[in-house]
Amino acid sequence: MSNEDLYHKVVGYVELTIFPTVVNLNRIKLNSKQCRIYRVRVNDLEAPFLYNDPTLEVCHHESKQRNLNYFSSAYTAAVSAVDPDAGHGELVIKVPSELWKQGDDLKVLKVYIEFSLDQPKGGLHFVVPDVEGSMAERGAHVFGSCDEKMKIFSCHRFWFPCVDSYSELCTWKLEFTVDASMVAVSCGDLVETIYTHDMRKKTFHYILPIPTAAPNISLAVGPFEILVDPYMHEVTHFCLPQLLPLLKHSMSFLHEIFEFYEEILTCRYPYSCFKTVFVDEAYVQVSSYASMSIFSTNLLHSAMIIDQTPQTRRCLAQALAQQFFGCFISRMSWADEWVLKGISGYIYGLYLKKTFGVNEYRHWIKQELDKIVEYELKMGGVLLHPTFSGGKEKDNPTPHLHFSIKHPHTLSWEYYKMFQCKAHLVMRLIENRISMEFMLQVFNKLLSLASTASSQKYQSHMWSQMLLSTHAFLKSISNVSGKDIGPLIKQWVDQSGVVKFFGSFAFNRKRNVLELEIRQDYTSSGTQKYVGPIKVTVQELDGSFNHMLQIEENSLKHDIPCHSKSRRNKKKKIPLMNGEEVDMDLSAMDADSPLLWIRIDPDMSILRKVEFEQADFMWQYQLRYERDVVAQEEAISALEKFPTPASRLALTDILEQEQCFYKVRMQACFCLAKIANAMVSTWQGPPAMKSLFTRMFCCKSCPNIVKTNNFINFQSYFLQKTMPVAMALLRDVQNLCPKDVLNFILDLIKYNDNRKNKFSDNYYRADLIEALTNSLTPAISINNEVRTVDNLNADVRLILEEITRFLNMEKLLPSFRNTITVSCLRAIRQLQKNGHIPSDPSLFKSYAQYGHFVDVRIAALEALVDYTRVERSSGELQWLLSMVQNDPVHYVRHKILGLLCKNPPFTKTTDSALCNEALVDQLWKFMNSGASHDWRLRCDAVNLYYMLFGLTRPSCLPLPELGLVLNLKEKKAVLNPTIKPELGVGAVMDTPASIGQPPQGLKRKADTPLGSPPEPGQILQQQDDDGRGFNTMEDEDIDMETVHDSQAFIHHHLNLLERPSTPGKHTHTHTHTHTHTHYIHVLKTLLIQFT
Amino acid sequence: VFSVHMVGEGSVSICSIAGKATSSPAENYLLARRRTLQVVVSALLTESGFESAEKAAVETLTEMLQSYITEIGRCAKAYCEHTARSVPTLSDTVVTLIEMGFNVDTLPIYAKRSQRMVITAPPVTNAPVTPKALSAGQKRTHPAHIPSHFPEFPDPHTYIKTPTFREPVSDYQVVREKAATQRRDVERALTRFIAKTGETQSLFKDDITTFPLIAARPSTIPYLSALLPSELELQALEETDSSEQDDQTDGENTDDPGADKENSMLPPSGVVPSTKASEDNVIDNPYLRPVKKPKVRRKK
Repeated sequence: MSNEDLYHKVVGYVELTIFPTVVNLNRIKLNSKQCRIYRVRVNDLEAPFLYNDPTLEVCHHESKQRNLNYFSSAYTAAVSAVDPDAGHGELVIKVPSELWKQGDDLKVLKVYIEFSLDQPKGGLHFVVPDVEGSMAERGAHVFGSCDEKMKIFSCHRFWFPCVDSYSELCTWKLEFTVDASMVAVSCGDLVETIYTHDMRKKTFHYILPIPTAAPNISLAVGPFEILVDPYMHEVTHFCLPQLLPLLKHSMSFLHEIFEFYEEILTCRYPYSCFKTVFVDEAYVQVSSYASMSIFSTNLLHSAMIIDQTPQTRRCLAQALAQQFFGCFISRMSWADEWVLKGISGYIYGLYLKKTFGVNEYRHWIKQELDKIVEYELKMGGVLLHPTFSGGKEKDNPTPHLHFSIKHPHTLSWEYYKMFQCKAHLVMRLIENRISMEFMLQVFNKLLSLASTASSQKYQSHMWSQMLLSTHAFLKSISNVSGKDIGPLIKQWVDQSGVVKFFGSFAFNRKRNVLELEIRQDYTSSGTQKYVGPIKVTVQELDGSFNHMLQIEENSLKHDIPCHSKSRRNKKKKIPLMNGEEVDMDLSAMDADSPLLWIRIDPDMSILRKVEFEQADFMWQYQLRYERDVVAQEEAISALEKFPTPASRLALTDILEQEQCFYKVRMQACFCLAKIANAMVSTWQGPPAMKSLFTRMFCCKSCPNIVKTNNFINFQSYFLQKTMPVAMALLRDVQNLCPKDVLNFILDLIKYNDNRKNKFSDNYYRADLIEALTNSLTPAISINNEVRTVDNLNADVRLILEEITRFLNMEKLLPSFRNTITVSCLRAIRQLQKNGHIPSDPSLFKSYAQYGHFVDVRIAALEALVDYTRVERSSGELQWLLSMVQNDPVHYVRHKILGLLCKNPPFTKTTDSALCNEALVDQLWKFMNSGASHDWRLRCDAVNLYYMLFGLTRPSCLPLPELGLVLNLKEKKAVLNPTIKPELGVGAVMDTPASIGQPPQGLKRKADTPLGSPPEPGQILQQQDDDGRGFNTMEDEDIDMETVHDSQAFIHHHLNLLERPSTPGKHTHTHTHTHTHTHYIHVLKTLLIQFT
Repeated sequence: VFSVHMVGEGSVSICSIAGKATSSPAENYLLARRRTLQVVVSALLTESGFESAEKAAVETLTEMLQSYITEIGRCAKAYCEHTARSVPTLSDTVVTLIEMGFNVDTLPIYAKRSQRMVITAPPVTNAPVTPKALSAGQKRTHPAHIPSHFPEFPDPHTYIKTPTFREPVSDYQVVREKAATQRRDVERALTRFIAKTGETQSLFKDDITTFPLIAARPSTIPYLSALLPSELELQALEETDSSEQDDQTDGENTDDPGADKENSMLPPSGVVPSTKASEDNVIDNPYLRPVKKPKVRRKK
């Protein structure tokens, strides 16, 4: 065994204490993947066990099936077959018959499992830098790579056998034996650390007295530097060697977040200690577990860094919010996930509001709302609380998706992110309905119930208070507030989709009435119909007025009486919504109308998109005088369509106004650039923003030279960063970037001087490079001449000169997070794409290698993905795909697939030489078995497959030899299946080979109508074996040894005994009452040894 | 004695040997001297009864002899200068020899020994001419109160201050321009140098010199260089901290300059427990507790 192997091995031992709650307990099912199980004992008796993981290979080998519908249903079935919430598992332990009597008396059973993990591919992630020195010197470390999503994707079965469900609580005793130079950080209290007898290793003993589900258990081992929080001694921070100064600075803020949450929740932090661990190559940035959170080491920063600081603080706040809701209180079932994500996201939002201000908070809400609206309108609805009626999967709640949302493991990553986003927005809607005070009372109540429950010893029925279900949450809301939020829940939680409004208005002078028309689009994908109240705010000359309108089935028009007379009183100031009174220049107004501007649903209390039509001057007034940042941002986006001098003036005024929120000003920069381009023939004066920038940031005596950097004022820092980027988007009549703009940017680079600055200018310089990139326009090429240095455009030569110097300097003086390299790589790709320099992937390939900083790798990969698409290069595509399979960093593998989805080399609707049978087979094989160790990666691969080939059989595949479709319902065969892709999936038989074997589709002809995806759950009902639901698919594949064995085993040993197994066949659907568990394990001991 | 002549006198007239015309006169001179020494050593060896000697041995002996003679010369000169003379006399040499532990009385006897070999005079080479120092300007003559035998004044440029009348550039624009250009030139030269001396990548296949990129090299722990501030940045930070930016915001970093660095790592709110040092001992954190020794097993 090589050294490397030696270091990637884990030997473990698990002990479960089980209280049976039913008689006839004869089998115990646990989740376990990758582990090699040596031995299982129950109460000191050797117990036979069998191990079968159907997700290893989703569709069985020789199958020539290549359509995604088939795969998705098979995959869902495979996951269902080992779903712990339904009482299934990969590891089936047969309780020795001698103990049945004991079980029938409901006495305690103890299960002992010895296992080892050899070079795990998922679950645990080992980072061992390849340098000389001991493991500690090298900074080698290992951690549970199960993060937020992986966590819900329950990867815990990847590293120790357990019931991998959030609803199975137990207390824990954890022991980890590691090299003496290492520290093992895990959940709960560190009781003691003891040397082994040879003094070369240490054993860390942890006890977690608070009942916790297995997915909330994690572990990190490494040569960590330890920092006890100076404000809270029970909080300990860990980072990799040499990073301690960064850790000190980054963590100096944590206590304020603690104080904030404890104050609003009026509840102490539930665990007795808290640990933060910063690891390299993290699966995601933030993941929370019981009493510990694991972060990416890249979040650490020094005091010199501006941009990273708020991001890191946000991550800390998120992690801490999840400690309360997600770790301490966990979900009852997967369908209740939205409540926990919603609450943690909501209180995180409150933290944002307090720390970063109301403007930032509202800006964030708008951003999140725009994101979810965009996603749902594009991809179809996001359903927060799916209900699956009685295993009948044919009424799939989300037929528009190419994956099933029944299990977290089958969910697309992007969908899950949107799911979280929607969840916290819905919580905010509830807050709007019942008030924040009640909201916080509900949280407090939930927490106090849970903490009372957690202190009960061995009364596990009490522990269910620590699990939160949708039902319990709603009940608590109605108890506390006395309000019925049923309609709200029905609209946004039980139903998917967002609302799309179109609004327009007319002013009726005679009646002095505003005639508002609000239409809806509820037929497009991802939309739903809204009926109910809506708030409309009208700013008139005499003040601002709110109106509650009722959106009803058939009424589109609403009459709103106006308060003001249209005749203007010139001297009077105009009162705003916030009570402020301002002078306005009203000359732009329509003389007949008293309306200044109108806003529909200003508080964002509906998940909606509003397209509202009002005159350009109204948008301009709204931008200048409305004090809500959301309104200002809406006005800016609307003004893009009105390229007039008046819009220009309004935007410039906003840009100059220092009281205005900086993000609004930043957005105004880009809008101004667009307007300037649209007005190019009539534009007067210097290029947009140039004189403004000069006034704000350049020296008084020599306006062409920028002042030496001083970023002490963050608002102007962000503006200084953004303006050049936006200016570079300006184009002249020839559609080129104006010469003086380019020279201006080059001068900014030339005169940039950071010597007297307290802060690093790396982000600023990166943005200047981005500005150079933005200034590029396609090269004029004559006869496709080869690009050489000699025929380089003079401007491009200057740009290239800068980029070369920046990229080279970065090797000598690397910038924080290598931001400059990232910008340079993007610039180079843009130069290639525009035909200024030869298109060549080799540079990006070298930067994409393992061993570069992750941001750099991602930037290089992004360029490569783009190259693959533009040049249709199959070589590069193969290179990327092999990296997806072999790269040591999970995040990079995930990201490559994500980038390929975002910028696909081809799609199902376009023809491409890349689309061929070999690629189909390769991707199929990867989804089918290659990515079995990583749920996220497998779902990414499914996404890519969908993007490339669609749901049905890829069009590039040759027609099957017989080209036969068996229509099972009508018992007839149709030739050529590819032209009838809408036919049932299970029914499309591609080859004679699969017809030769009785295909699974044949089995369910009785109850599976064509067109619905086959689900093995249905077989489950028909056959008298609960655990075999999926395995029946394998009946035919008897050449597969393990399956055959397992089948035989089940048949002979278990099935014939007419005793219910763990879950009991009658409770195969999950209910809120938690009845599926027929035993409770109370204490779990986990011992792990790293060898 | 031979040695005294060698060192004490400026030049000895020896007839030249035809030969290496390529070397400079100074080298020729030294070469000839060295050759003579070699002959001396060989003669002494023959005298002592050796028939042949390895070249290396002869060289070594020559080297030793030369060192010895040089030392005598150096010492004798020191003695003579000690008595404010400039040319060594016999007595200087004698004292030197005595000082070096040589029994002077044996010297005449040794010199008169019968088997002594007579060596031809060393070849004559011209002593190297020290090039004349360039003289510039008019040398000053001595003022009346200085006797004429005192050394002359050196060239005026060695002691006269010549004021220049160009004002140093202080125009802001020019300074900035200069600083920017200078920095850019340094950066370009440095990166070009590194690129020339190491592996490079190029954006153009046909031309690898115009825009050379230093090759990307993966590192074993990439996050370290990406996250830790470079020394240059840290240095700059220290400078700005101690200088002007203090008056702008840093109310906290007031009295204790030594704690500046520490403070910058800690939050600006600065409510760090003042008794931090003493409290460190009090903090009871399980990760700070010492590791326990294993318990002795009961069974053996």
